[in-house]
Amino acid sequence: MSMLRSVSVVVLGAVVAVALPSSPAWAIPAFARKYGTSCLTCHTVYPKLTPFGEAFRRNGYRFPGVDSDYVKQDTVPLGQDANKKTFPNSVWPNTIPISAPIAFGVNGQLNIFPDKNASVPRANNDIRVAVDQLIAEGHMWVGAALDDSITVWGEITIADGGADVEHAQVLFNDIVGPKHAVNLVVGKGFSTISSFGAHSSFLADQMITNFPVTGVYGTSTDPFVLVDNYSGLELNGVLGGLVDYSAGWNGGKNTFTSSFNSQNWYAHAGVKLGGMPLDGEGFTAPADAMHPWAETSLTLDGFVYRSSEHFPQPADTTLSVHDSSMTYGGDLRGQLGSAELDAGYYRQHHERGTATLDSVDADVIWGELSYIVFPWMVPALRVERLALSPSGGSSVSNLHLMPGVAFLIRANIKVVAVVNVEIGKGYAADASGAPLAWSGGSGDLGSFVLSPMADATPTTSRNELESIAVFMAWAI
Amino acid sequence: MSRLLSLSSVAAVVLLAGLTSAFAESGGTITGKVDATPSKMLPDTVVYLKNVPGNYPPKTLNEDQRGMKFIPHILLATVGDTVEFLNHDNVAHNVYSPDNDGFNLGTFKQDEKRSQKFDQAGSYTLLCSIHPEMLGYIFVGQNPYSAAVDAKGEYTIRGVPPGAYQLEVWNPKLKAAPKSVTVTAGGKVSENISIKR
Repeated sequence: MSMLRSVSVVVLGAVVAVALPSSPAWAIPAFARKYGTSCLTCHTVYPKLTPFGEAFRRNGYRFPGVDSDYVKQDTVPLGQDANKKTFPNSVWPNTIPISAPIAFGVNGQLNIFPDKNASVPRANNDIRVAVDQLIAEGHMWVGAALDDSITVWGEITIADGGADVEHAQVLFNDIVGPKHAVNLVVGKGFSTISSFGAHSSFLADQMITNFPVTGVYGTSTDPFVLVDNYSGLELNGVLGGLVDYSAGWNGGKNTFTSSFNSQNWYAHAGVKLGGMPLDGEGFTAPADAMHPWAETSLTLDGFVYRSSEHFPQPADTTLSVHDSSMTYGGDLRGQLGSAELDAGYYRQHHERGTATLDSVDADVIWGELSYIVFPWMVPALRVERLALSPSGGSSVSNLHLMPGVAFLIRANIKVVAVVNVEIGKGYAADASGAPLAWSGGSGDLGSFVLSPMADATPTTSRNELESIAVFMAWAI
Repeated sequence: MSRLLSLSSVAAVVLLAGLTSAFAESGGTITGKVDATPSKMLPDTVVYLKNVPGNYPPKTLNEDQRGMKFIPHILLATVGDTVEFLNHDNVAHNVYSPDNDGFNLGTFKQDEKRSQKFDQAGSYTLLCSIHPEMLGYIFVGQNPYSAAVDAKGEYTIRGVPPGAYQLEVWNPKLKAAPKSVTVTAGGKVSENISIKR
């Protein structure tokens, strides 16, 4: 029993680390400076995007129409338009912004743990209130256009563990065919598996819920998840303002000591009915000028993702394990004026995902219902469910309820308050059959942290009020 | 005899000046304002009359390179004019244009100058191969009746012979349909123009 308790403490220590704010990539004030416009042109409570902001993002961070027509910031020409006539005897011309297109931001949160028997207090000296993560991370973002078709986007995140280049992409837009139809993204960033931006949530760091299956089972220290930053190539586009698609290939995850072929690939397609076209072209004005985010629309998405993950074998770390997974999923977004419902599901089959390297199916469901009461106040309810069905084992699940409110103190300062409740029915099991803590979720304000009590088994159910999280962020 | 010749020469000059003045006064004026969408593309705009019959003696104009800029940014010329390109920077410059029949004057150092005669109407983008950010324009019209807009978009074309003409606009990226104007001796015509993609 004492050994089990020790293992639980170690796992919970890791859980606390996971529960800390992750590193979101948000909108960047560099765009506000570029166009001389407010953050609110593209965002509600950032990083949540308005329909116009989503179109801007899908267009490779460009305004509909001719992007340079809207740029108010001076640029330095690295060549003139007439150089296009003298090519190839001259370099194809482009511009750079006259001042470095960077922005800086900070985020962190205050956590309150009302129940000392909840998972985090149990692992952390009955902790009840923590402000040590009020400033958890800094971010530096870069976003700029080099001409009307090539844009760049980047993010560096700085935290206690060091600095990490999270995003660094060059977007070659409109490479062939009609405008917006075919774009090529090269670099490191999120895989496009939805019609909406990855951070398209009021209460969480990302809309799609991550489930680090091999991390839950303890086999990988950097498990594959759908929403993460991968290096690779992606083709995407918008067709006729109605349909969007993507197809990509990236390097995936590898914690082994040597490299393997990059074998992750994915594809997605979505269709939008009603509201602003997906590329924002030809859209004159919102129906209600006082509620520019509001529209009546329905967007349906489907995606497929194949991952190839390598990590050391548990029994002999000099050997590697190859776990491939296949994910099928979809989501929808329905907007009715200022009300919005997002919901999605995916099934992810791992060939060697469990602690004993057997196959397992993960089922993930998420939903977020929100209503913009005022442009600075948005109450919402987010629900997430993780489930595991290992081969030859019992199915287990965990339901995470997150009621909360997002506030804008100013256009570039936000506060979000969220309550985290978990309703667990069982736990994943390690190789010896002992229960393992849950992990995953959508980051920031509340991850899955439910951990087994000392006398728990893999079939034990447990409900917990995990925390009340108050998150603050600003960007400039 | 020589004194008579001198007096005759003076009289001829006075008569010529008077005739020129009278001719100018008999010409009309076209004035107006151009607005552009997007507005930041307004500065590089010339309003001109497309075809005005007449004899226009060729002249020599100056285009300077100073402070890593072409000055003036837009130079107005007539077919047959010669432009002397000057370099008053302490670096070498090159002047070339890929437009129409194109030209390349090579590299020339401080205080050197090169010339180019313009026998074809049209707009010529001025570039420097050593300093790709430099940009200027020479607008060569069939006639001298043209004007670059000022900072507010206003223009004035003076001394236009009486008649009916097509008033057109040149801008590197924006355009407008031609307008018909009728100019009377000593009269003033106002014509506002909107240019867009």
